[in-house]
Amino acid sequence: MNPMAPGLSAPGLSVEDLSWGHTLPGSGWRQLFRSFSLTCPRGQFLVLIGSNGSGKSTLLNLVAGTLPAASGRIHLGGRPLHRLRDHQRARWIGRVMQNPLEGTCPGLTVAENLRLAERRHRPAFLAGGALLGALGGLHPDGADRRRYRELLGDLGLPLADRLDEPVGQLSGGQRQTLSLVMATLGSPDLLLLDEHTAALDPRAEATVIELTNRLIRQLGTTALMVTHSLEQALGHGDRLVMLHDGRPIGDWSAAEREALDPPSLRAMYGAATVKEAPCTVHDGSPAP
Amino acid sequence: MLSLWLGAYDQGLAYAGLALGTYLTLRVLNFPDLTVDGSFALGGGTAAMLISQGTPVPLALGLAILFGCLAGLVTGLIHTRLGVNDLFAGILTTTGLYSITLRLMGRSNIPLPETPAGIQALPDLGLGLDGRWAVGLTLAMLGLILLISLLMATDVGLALRALGDNPTMARANGINQRRGLTVGIAAANGLVALAGALVALYQGFADVTMGIGSLILGLGMVIIGESVLRPRSVPWALLAVALGAILFRTMIAIALQLGLEPVDLKLATALLLLVALAFGRLRIPGLSDHGRLEQ
Repeated sequence: MNPMAPGLSAPGLSVEDLSWGHTLPGSGWRQLFRSFSLTCPRGQFLVLIGSNGSGKSTLLNLVAGTLPAASGRIHLGGRPLHRLRDHQRARWIGRVMQNPLEGTCPGLTVAENLRLAERRHRPAFLAGGALLGALGGLHPDGADRRRYRELLGDLGLPLADRLDEPVGQLSGGQRQTLSLVMATLGSPDLLLLDEHTAALDPRAEATVIELTNRLIRQLGTTALMVTHSLEQALGHGDRLVMLHDGRPIGDWSAAEREALDPPSLRAMYGAATVKEAPCTVHDGSPAP
Repeated sequence: MLSLWLGAYDQGLAYAGLALGTYLTLRVLNFPDLTVDGSFALGGGTAAMLISQGTPVPLALGLAILFGCLAGLVTGLIHTRLGVNDLFAGILTTTGLYSITLRLMGRSNIPLPETPAGIQALPDLGLGLDGRWAVGLTLAMLGLILLISLLMATDVGLALRALGDNPTMARANGINQRRGLTVGIAAANGLVALAGALVALYQGFADVTMGIGSLILGLGMVIIGESVLRPRSVPWALLAVALGAILFRTMIAIALQLGLEPVDLKLATALLLLVALAFGRLRIPGLSDHGRLEQ
C-alpha cells in the first residue's frame, strides 16, 4: 500500500506517537490510541472510515485540540500544533461538525457567521494587544456583505440572498453548507470533516459532498474526512484509511482503492464494525 | 401622581445598568452571573465613599465602574482558570465582596444628601429635581446603549455573542473562550456597579446590603423588556432591557401605591420570577432545568 499520491510530498499533517484514553462508564479505562502515527502530505484528501468507537472522530478532535492528547506530537506544515490550544489551532484548521447545529451560531446572521470565520485566520483574535485592533470598525459592513454575496453566488448557493437571516432559520442542509463554506474561508491548511453529511437527507448530502469535493480541489487544502458511508469512502479522496480500535487496519491510495473489491472491503468493514449476526438462508432458517 | 411616575422613571433608568449587565451575562454570554449582587453594592458603596470625601462625581462613577469590572474579572478568572462552576464562582466573589465593600465604605451606610452639581445644572422641564434627574439619566442611558450597541457590532462584540451562542463553534473559529468570557463578565459587572452608583446618588445614600437580590431584579427587568418589545437585534434588545427596568420600577411603584408593604417587595419579585421560570417563559442557563427533568 502506498499512501502517498503522486506529486504530494510537501509536509502536511503529521501525527506521531499519539496516545489517548478515556474512562468508559462502568467498565474502567480504555486506551484507544497507543503510539498512533499518521502522515498526510500537503494537499492530500484522506478519507477515514471505521466502526463506531474506532477512534475516527476522536482523532479529529485530537488534531483540532478539542481533546488533549496524553502524549505525542502533531505537526501541520511543520508547526507543532500539540503545543497550541484549540482556538489557536483554528488559525490553520477549518472544521465541519457532524451535527449541522454545532458548526454555526444559530443566533447570528449568515453574514455574521461568515465574518467570524473570516476573522479566524487573523492572529490573536480577541487576544492581548489585538483586542483594541479588533474593535476597529463595525462588521459585517457593506464591503463584507458584497464579498460574501459574491462568494456564495460563485459557489452557486442560494444563501447569497439570505445574508441577514439568523442561521437558526436555515434548514440542516443549508446550515451544513454554510458551515463548509465557513470552514474553507481563507484557505485553511487543514480541513477536518467529521461525518459532515451523516445528518442530512440524500439530496442535501449530495449537494454538500459535491461542494466538499469542489472546494478541496479548488483550494488544494489537506483534508481529513471521517465517514461511515462506504460509498463515500470508495468514491472520494486521494487515500482511504480504515481504523479499528485506534489502529489503522487498512491504508489504500486512490489507485489501490480502485482495484479493491468492494464486497471484500465491505466485509472487512463489517468485521471491524460488529460481530456478524447469524446469517439467514432464503428459507428463513438460521445458518449453522 | 406625576411625581410617582417620574420617580419610577428615574429609578428605572438608574437601575438600567443592572438590567444591561444582566442581559450581557445571561443573554449574550449565556453565563448566570451571581456576582451582580456584590458588584451592585460595590459600585454604590465606592461612589458614596468617594463622593462623601469630596471626589468629583464623574471620577467617582468611573472608579465605581472600574471596581465593578475588577469584581467581574475575579469571577471570570475563578471560572475560566480554576474551573469552578459558573454559579459557584459568582457566589464566591459576591461573598468576598461584602467584606470588601464594607471595608471600602468604613461603615454600613453612607448618606449622600447633596444632588450632584451636574444634575442641578440640567433643565428641569418644569418638573423640579426629578425632571433634572430624568433629563440626565435619559441622556446617560441613551449614550450608554449607543456605546454598547457599537461595541457589540465590532469583531469583539461578535466574538462575545458567538461565545454565548455556540462556544464549540466559537473556539473552532479562533475565539479564546476563557478571555472572551472574562472580558464579557468584567464589562457586565462594570455596568452593574455603575447602576449601583447611580442608585446610591439618586436615593441619597449607599448601604452595604443594597445589592441583595440584584440578579433577580435584573432578571425581572430583562424579562419584562423582552416581553414588551420582543427585540430581534442587539440595539433593540438593549433598549428593551432599559425599558424593562423602567416598567419594573413602575410596577413596584404601583404595587406600593396599592398598599404592598415595602418589606414584601423582594418576595413579590421572587414569586413573579418563579412563575415565569415554572411556565417556561424564561430560559436561563443553570437556572431553568427542564431538560434534566425530562430525562
